[in-house]
Amino acid sequence: MNILETRKATKMYAIGERRIAVVDQVSLQVEEGEFVVISGSSGSGKTTLLSLLAGLDSPTSGTIFLAGLDITSYDEDQLAEIRNRTTGFVFQAFHLVPSLNAIENVMFPAELARDDQAEEKARRLLERVGLWQRRHNFPEQLSGGEKQRVALCRALINTPRILFADEPTGNLDSKNSKEIVDLLLEMQREWNTTLVMATHSPEIAALAQRTLHLHDGRLLTEKERQSAALVGAEA
Amino acid sequence: MATGFNRKFLLRELVHGWRHSVLFVLCVALSLMTISALGSFKEGVDRSVFRDARQLHGGDIIIHSHYPLSPALLDRVEALKDGDDTIVSTMTHEFYSVVREARQQATLLAEIKIIEENFPLYGTIELGSGQRLQDRLQSGSVIVAEDVLTRLDLEIGDVLLVGSGALRIVDTVVHEPDSPVSILSFGPRVFVAAEDLDDIDLVGKGSRIKYEMLLALAENGDLQGVTAALRRQAVEGQERVTTFREEGSGVKRFFDNLLFFLSLITIFTLLLAGLGMQSCLTALIRQKEKTIAVVRSLGADAAFLYRHYFCMVLGLGGAGALIGIAAGVVLGNVLPTLFRGLIPVHDNPSVGMIDLGEGLFLGLTVVILFTFLPLYRLRNIKPAAIFRKERSHFRRDGVFYLAVFVAAVVITLLISVQLEDTFVGLLFTAAVFAFIAVISLVSNLLVKAVLRLKIQTLSLRQALRSMTRAGNASRSVIITLASALSLLFVIYLVEHTLHATYIESYPANAPNLFFLDIQPDQRQGFVEFFDDKPPLFPIIRARLQAINGEAIDRAEELRKKRDNFAREFNLTYRDHLLDDEKLLEGEGLFDDYGSGEMLQVSLLDSVAEMGDIDRGDVLLFNIQGVEIEARVVSIRTRTKSELYPFFYFVFPGDSLAAAPQTFFSAVNVDKEKIAPLQSRIVAKYPNISFINISETAEDLEVLMGRLSRIINFFASFSMAAGGLILISSILATRLERTREAVYYKVLGGRKSFVYRVFIYENTFIGIFSAAVALVIAHGGSWALCRYLFEIEHVPAIGATAALALFTVVLVVLVGLLSSLSIVWQKPARFLREHGGG
Repeated sequence: MNILETRKATKMYAIGERRIAVVDQVSLQVEEGEFVVISGSSGSGKTTLLSLLAGLDSPTSGTIFLAGLDITSYDEDQLAEIRNRTTGFVFQAFHLVPSLNAIENVMFPAELARDDQAEEKARRLLERVGLWQRRHNFPEQLSGGEKQRVALCRALINTPRILFADEPTGNLDSKNSKEIVDLLLEMQREWNTTLVMATHSPEIAALAQRTLHLHDGRLLTEKERQSAALVGAEA
Repeated sequence: MATGFNRKFLLRELVHGWRHSVLFVLCVALSLMTISALGSFKEGVDRSVFRDARQLHGGDIIIHSHYPLSPALLDRVEALKDGDDTIVSTMTHEFYSVVREARQQATLLAEIKIIEENFPLYGTIELGSGQRLQDRLQSGSVIVAEDVLTRLDLEIGDVLLVGSGALRIVDTVVHEPDSPVSILSFGPRVFVAAEDLDDIDLVGKGSRIKYEMLLALAENGDLQGVTAALRRQAVEGQERVTTFREEGSGVKRFFDNLLFFLSLITIFTLLLAGLGMQSCLTALIRQKEKTIAVVRSLGADAAFLYRHYFCMVLGLGGAGALIGIAAGVVLGNVLPTLFRGLIPVHDNPSVGMIDLGEGLFLGLTVVILFTFLPLYRLRNIKPAAIFRKERSHFRRDGVFYLAVFVAAVVITLLISVQLEDTFVGLLFTAAVFAFIAVISLVSNLLVKAVLRLKIQTLSLRQALRSMTRAGNASRSVIITLASALSLLFVIYLVEHTLHATYIESYPANAPNLFFLDIQPDQRQGFVEFFDDKPPLFPIIRARLQAINGEAIDRAEELRKKRDNFAREFNLTYRDHLLDDEKLLEGEGLFDDYGSGEMLQVSLLDSVAEMGDIDRGDVLLFNIQGVEIEARVVSIRTRTKSELYPFFYFVFPGDSLAAAPQTFFSAVNVDKEKIAPLQSRIVAKYPNISFINISETAEDLEVLMGRLSRIINFFASFSMAAGGLILISSILATRLERTREAVYYKVLGGRKSFVYRVFIYENTFIGIFSAAVALVIAHGGSWALCRYLFEIEHVPAIGATAALALFTVVLVVLVGLLSSLSIVWQKPARFLREHGGG
């Protein structure tokens, strides 16, 4: 069963008088529990596509179905509801709320959902990622790897059906990168969460069940990908 | 190394940071507008009140007394006039008395001035008809203020009863050079010709009359010599001889005090606006940090940045100064209309080139003072800031402390110049810093206390946390707003307390009609007007000459702002305490305590405090030329409002019965019966004066209302400065606020949640500001009421709570309107633009 589906999703941006399609007619399906990687070079439109899929932005045209709902024409508040209950997001730059400490950051989405168990859930998650001792630290007092682990806990606290991750290891060293990827996959398997990750790391892509290749905003077919790879190799 | 000047760079920086630029200009304009408005107000007062001291006092030399001038002095005046033809003199008698319309039903307390033909010696009394006073005021006629006609329903040509005389109203008085404002007068003016002095029969029976002789000398006359000659003949302690240069008038003192107070408020606004400028520029530089880092990475040195930003500041400061001065001039023209009845400005105030130059200089000085530190910090922005996500940190070095020191010195100088007094300037600066320190302390304690609270509601908790976000100016905003609000609240509370004390709480059965100048032989006849015998208090007028043998320094006493020993006092004698009196010290009103054979006297606590007088001290009085010593044997206090009759000095029964005296009575009369009673008594005893206390209290209230209108008007500029700082603080933390708003949304917060957080945050700022202001204002107004007005402080909890609520709503509205575009920000767009953040 598809938890995520797009039909000819397009996102245009106006730069001066020019209009550029950053995501161009993308159609895809993701099944529940699947781990899908979206790969592509810098500027290929990975982050924008992920934003559309996660309901952070709306497409200029096309349709997006998330958990069986057509979210294409949802307004900002309807999308907020989806982001809180159905999805989780891990960013490359962590994006922790600076004025909240680690546990408060983790609890935040649960508190928005008026979950009485917010603190208990946050405790379990922080213990799981080994950060319970640092729970009262503010983001500025945490290292990059710690911040990303807190961000991961925050993304998972409402038990989302689908987790989006945008270059989650982009700002981390190799040791921390491995730890984060291991954690992500562990939790994805354990909770049977769908994971959609944008990355240009071939190592991470190799771990995915399926990889979608994006080039200039368009999804490449396998044939197109192979010829692009050949062109790249010749160059 | 880039050392040139890039006009386009400057222009682009200005345009890109237009919000901060506009706010900066508004801060400068606000400070200059306040100064210009006060300047216009001062100029208006100067023009109408102090333009010509000769006109204000009506002569070159003023001889003043509360008794008929002594024969020796009068002889001296005549001798001087005989020896110099150019010396002219004129005599005036001025007093309050009740005037009546001919049918004798309506009465009115009026300020009567009996003048000779050549009055005034300087200036002109403007009449409604436009004719000369000398041509209109003849024997049998009277010229009155328009108010007399209105309040007694009379017209020109009607007869007005003044004392025993029936005088025909021939004209109205529009303006008097020696009485430019009516603010301090409790009755409208009535001019009577000197020829009718005997007919009206009001002078010479112990009435409270101001006897004044004015002398005018030739332009090159020997002012000092003539004055000295007259002083030698004057009765010491009774007759005062001064020149127009030395003479202090009540009007001048009143406006001096008012203008001084307004100057303090204006300076306060100037400082707040300065903080606003600093806040705006800091916000602008924070916003430009990345741009500045890029420019530096391309080779621009610190001088390049200083040059461009200094030009920007000067340009914006100049624009703000010009706008402020223009707005101040417009305001100055509107002030006479706004404060009609307070400042009778005849000419429209104008601003000359010198004023303009002064204003610009002052504005730019303030701009440079308050923008130096943000500009200096430009050098701390390194090219590496391009790669950093956090803000640059600024270290406080020697230059920082030197700049703060120089700013403090210059501010003190500016304040001293504005207040025209270096010592008071220093005191005020110290007081402002102490005031801000107290407010900062209270604000910090409050914020810390609230942050410790366990708050369950997420949006509330988040709002509190947001107040401590990096670079947030919440504390500065609270301090600024609280300072401005404290001032406004103090004014309101004092006004409210005065109102509650004198108007609202005036008991229905308390005396509301005072009778003055009842002659000893009129006592029986006076008492017969009443069903119940009214109390009669003997009054003996006397001066205090010495305390424990130490002579009273009248010049020193006159310099005191409060009641002093230079004036004449009313003594009385009786053997019992009044109903509203109780003893503080002494076995009884009088006893044997150390008095021996000496006369005893009982003092009211307020006069004892005034002269630091204790039981056992010996006072020397001069009762109309006769010296009497008395020992203080008891100290009394009063339990009721100031409007009950009271006496500072009480002597034992009949001890002063032989002294020249009049009687005073205070009665309670139904309001509708006051006018007929006054008419009947005045018809029989024209010399008896009345004070209608309820009417006087209402007049007082009108006066207080007018004063508070002026003060509130100027204090509102401080509030505006607080608002500008709030907006600039929101701009300064715009990026952080936007980031937070985006994060909330990404994590599933609705717009309403983001709105709630911002509303709560501003609500907290408003509540904290109002709470701190309330605490300070209640303390301040309590102190003012207790020590200045000597009345019980009325806290007015409900009214001040309403004021506080109004403040909170205002802060929330200003904060919310400034944050709207932040809430509307789309998360994806922000994350894309600040992905690295």
